[in-house]
Amino acid sequence: MKYIFLLGLSLCLSNYAYAERINIVGSTTVLPIVSQAAALYQQSHPDVQITVSGGGSGVGIASIIQGTSQIAMASRETTQEEQAQLKGKVENIIIAADAVAVAVSKAVFESGVHALSLAQIADIYKGKIRNWKSVGGVDAKILVIDKEASRGTRHVFAQAVLGSSHARAAGASLISGSNNEEQAIISRSNQAIGMLSNAWLNDSVRGIDVLVKGQAIGPTLQHVRDGSYPISRGLHILIPIHASQNAKDFVHFLSSKAGQNIVQQTGYLPVL
Amino acid sequence: MLKIIRFGYLIALFSIAALLWFLVVNTWPFWAEFGLSSLWLDEWFPYESLYGLLPALVGSAWVMMIAMFFALPCGLAAAIVGSELLSKPWQSTLRLSVEILAGIPSVVYGLIGLWILLPWLQNTFDLITGHSLLAAGLLLAMMILPTIMVMSLDALRFVPQEQREAAASLGLDWNTRLITVLLPQAWPGIRSGVLLALGRALGETMAVMLVVGSLDKMPSPIYNILEPAQTLTSRIGREMGEAAFGSMHFSALMANGLILAIISMLLSFMVLRQRKAAQR
Repeated sequence: MKYIFLLGLSLCLSNYAYAERINIVGSTTVLPIVSQAAALYQQSHPDVQITVSGGGSGVGIASIIQGTSQIAMASRETTQEEQAQLKGKVENIIIAADAVAVAVSKAVFESGVHALSLAQIADIYKGKIRNWKSVGGVDAKILVIDKEASRGTRHVFAQAVLGSSHARAAGASLISGSNNEEQAIISRSNQAIGMLSNAWLNDSVRGIDVLVKGQAIGPTLQHVRDGSYPISRGLHILIPIHASQNAKDFVHFLSSKAGQNIVQQTGYLPVL
Repeated sequence: MLKIIRFGYLIALFSIAALLWFLVVNTWPFWAEFGLSSLWLDEWFPYESLYGLLPALVGSAWVMMIAMFFALPCGLAAAIVGSELLSKPWQSTLRLSVEILAGIPSVVYGLIGLWILLPWLQNTFDLITGHSLLAAGLLLAMMILPTIMVMSLDALRFVPQEQREAAASLGLDWNTRLITVLLPQAWPGIRSGVLLALGRALGETMAVMLVVGSLDKMPSPIYNILEPAQTLTSRIGREMGEAAFGSMHFSALMANGLILAIISMLLSFMVLRQRKAAQR
């Protein structure tokens, strides 16, 4: 009995010793792609153990700088300060693209708010427009959801709408974190507006069109591809140049045909 | 044996000293640059080097007070019922269930708050969102209730039987016995429970972060507890991941942590002092 136990223990340990662990941290927008890819990749590579966790683009990039993860996910460009710290040490690869949708609660959409101009959205986030009535909806206050400053979606949205990635949003009534949290808050409310990757929209969280020169453009992959949707972005993978071969292989897998299929299945725009 | 115990004692002492040293060293750049005046500045916006701590301090104070306002009467009442009115088997059932309540992880409370408390508050007060200081306070009340109840229960049970009998033989009715004999006798123990519970309310992060709204703004007016706000812990939880180690932002977040540590140490000292006073 004792020997069986010891044998089992040593087997566990040997397994643990041989499997290389790869930690991937960062954007919750990129996370669905990478976690699905990791599940598929591990089937053919049992010697690699991949852990994927969120936290936000800023957290991912910080973890690469501090060396606490092997691969980072980011849904925005790196800032100048980050570039200074990463220069020459990290490879930055775009594996997909998506649209940052202006997401509203189902009730708002159904009350008639189907499109807003960037100026109107900016006024909502600055606190100048506080009621849905002013933009064609019913008489209800606007629940303005801002995101944590470290989130990639926040950078891209604020850059496009407010003019700077760290602009203040005085009209914000709530701060949320991950895509999950944002989606949950918008779907539970009847009067919310927020920012969400197009892949996270559903029946109770609707993306509205953005008016560009009088033309309503929806947050669809088609409009990301032709460049007409104004709030779109690349989804990045950051990997240190001196990363292990296994980590590099996994990143190659993301850019391969199979990886890009997963990008499409999860609702993002492939880059291949 | 004694040596090992002494060694453990030294390790405990050392880790407390190391923790304080770490906090002070890491917050030093912040205090040097902004000084104590940031305690009463009301704007926090790291990207413009604004580090006012007041909104989060006020938020933390509010959630502690709200939690205590609801948890103290309920916990005390439950303890009185548990020690004075229930029969032995029911007493242990009550105690067991409260101890189970104390063992539930805080994120579970947070999720309960998110899915039940927030919609309820939103409908009841006709709010734009349920995220608020009140939500955080109510959730914390539920979380600290077991601490207050168990400590008060023990304190009441340790009131000597002779005291009860003497009071009864004087012909005092139940109310008078409770107010003039039982509660004053048990008060030191109850107070310890309250202080420990305050410590927990102050330090709780996950549950508070999920329901408080994390909006860095002074409640306006200051007694408005129905709007989203920020506490010291929820701010650290939201921003720590991004702050680069060694940056001013990091140092400022550490200052939030130092304030938390100082307040909870003060609470512990208060527990200690009155225990000594009770022994005398």
